[in-house]
Amino acid sequence: MGKLDIIRLLNNFPFLIAIILFSLGCLIVLTQRNLIKKVIGINVMETSIFLFFIAAGNIKGAVPPIYNPAQGDVLYVNPIPQALILTGIVVGFSVTAFALSIIVSLYRFYGTVHVTELMKMR
Amino acid sequence: MLLHRLPVMMIISTLIIAFLTPIFARWEREFCRYLAVAVTGINFLISIYLAFEILPGSPIIIYMGGWQSPWGIELKVDTMASIMLLLITGICFLVALYSLGILEMEIPREKTGWYYTAYLLLTAGMVGMVSTNDIFNLYVMVEIVSICACALVVVKGSKEATEATLKYLLLAAIGSGFILFAIGFLYMLTGNLNINYIAGELAMIKDIYPFVLWASLGFFVVGFGLKSALFPLHFWLPDAHSSAPFPSSVLLSSLVVKVYIIALLKIFYFVFGPKIFGQSTMPTLLLVLASMAMIIGSLFAFTQLDLKRRLAYSTVSQIGYIFLGLGLGTIWGLAAALLHIIVHAFMKACLFMTAGNIYYQTGKKNVRCFSGLGFTMPVTMIAFTVAIFSMVGIPFFGGFATKYGLALGSFERNHYFIVVLLILSGLLNAAYFFPIAWQAFFTGGAKEKIELDNVPLTMLLPVCILAVGIILLGIFPQVPLAALKKVASGLLASS
Repeated sequence: MGKLDIIRLLNNFPFLIAIILFSLGCLIVLTQRNLIKKVIGINVMETSIFLFFIAAGNIKGAVPPIYNPAQGDVLYVNPIPQALILTGIVVGFSVTAFALSIIVSLYRFYGTVHVTELMKMR
Repeated sequence: MLLHRLPVMMIISTLIIAFLTPIFARWEREFCRYLAVAVTGINFLISIYLAFEILPGSPIIIYMGGWQSPWGIELKVDTMASIMLLLITGICFLVALYSLGILEMEIPREKTGWYYTAYLLLTAGMVGMVSTNDIFNLYVMVEIVSICACALVVVKGSKEATEATLKYLLLAAIGSGFILFAIGFLYMLTGNLNINYIAGELAMIKDIYPFVLWASLGFFVVGFGLKSALFPLHFWLPDAHSSAPFPSSVLLSSLVVKVYIIALLKIFYFVFGPKIFGQSTMPTLLLVLASMAMIIGSLFAFTQLDLKRRLAYSTVSQIGYIFLGLGLGTIWGLAAALLHIIVHAFMKACLFMTAGNIYYQTGKKNVRCFSGLGFTMPVTMIAFTVAIFSMVGIPFFGGFATKYGLALGSFERNHYFIVVLLILSGLLNAAYFFPIAWQAFFTGGAKEKIELDNVPLTMLLPVCILAVGIILLGIFPQVPLAALKKVASGLLASS
């Protein structure tokens, strides 16, 4: 890895952070034994994707995409990823709500949210 | 102009009625079942009309809200989409008919309205998924389908169903994450969300950003593979499909896992195009995983004693056949994969429905206690036998045509070992399905008189229709194959 690559990586560091968060979220879902933590892992994963989209639509030195005649001819950031991510947030919210409600009913059945104890009781 | 409104009307009216069913259920519980039958029936009629209009002619393209294509969402119903619409709405109609009888004993009474909400939303989501031409709209439809599929499992309310749903939901959420990330990569590369425009841009820039392109392709395969139970990612499927109520199992096993494959096919051939897809190592990977799925899925199925779990593992192995066709990437391979989507939907729907009928009449689930059932419920067991003959691949049943097509496809690629695998997998299918039919007809002592099945007509009729469909597909496979081969050559020629 040369010096140029490191500079390129640092210039694009939101993407690096997004990838790291995504992997971390995936790891949390697959390895944590607590069901609530698994749901938090899903949330971390989704948030990393939101970061990725927003970073992809961002332009350095551009203003928010709200038309203002007083400003004149300026550069706006891309509004489409933000609109897409609004949908993504709604989807993530519904998945989280659904998962938590299932965990509540599992807790009513078994009295625990821990996978190892849950497996023992079966 | 009406033709251009019909697919949109089909999706939107189903979505609206889905949210009205809980209100109807509060007012008059019986009403919402017949409403669901009516809605899915009308959808089926609309898709028959669409198929008559589209199959000989050109695809119809719809711009939502009148916005032209790079800006607005575009729906495109081409030959493949119209065939799949026919399949999806047809099976949904039969399942709605089937659930009139069995739903009472499967889910709590007060949840009927909500069951039909999830059911109709799932229908709308699947219809939207096969007909959309916009990659982000595809993601939204994928999410609708995944969440509703989970809801259809959890509605049973038992311990096993709740556990299986949590597993299914978490893995489906991971899959959606991968798909959304892949869409993000494509959007970053091309700045478009419309499939045609992305394909056009990718053809120009594919040499400049090869790594992002491969990453995107890989993320799509992991995401959709997780949702459609491609072999090493299949571990959620047996729990979810076997603990669900019977009508939900039919839907999940025969349609839901397939529409993800259709979406993946669209991504491979319409977005990336056969050139980029063919250059990557993805076809080889799919071939290896599919071959493993065919054998190992059957071996797992062999060890299961619960009929529904056995059928669920058999789905894992049959998904392997479809991915095998995708991996071969020849005209015969793709046509056989598409035909297997249709045939397997018929077979698995028929098998799960007969399992439901057996449970309805006798309360038995274990495959070792079916002796003599051939005399007490002959219609059900004959349909079951037809379905398993097709599953094994005996000539003149639907499954034979697809195996023959896959074999021809593997000859085109010079992969002769696949024929051995196909035969081996067929023999394994025979080994775990034939004893059930044998037991039902030839053991348990000879009965003097044969009684007819003691199940409602609405549960018997769909089973008979599906069994007849399997036989017709087996005797006249050239009718669907002619259209599907045209689709396959269109896929391979695109961009």
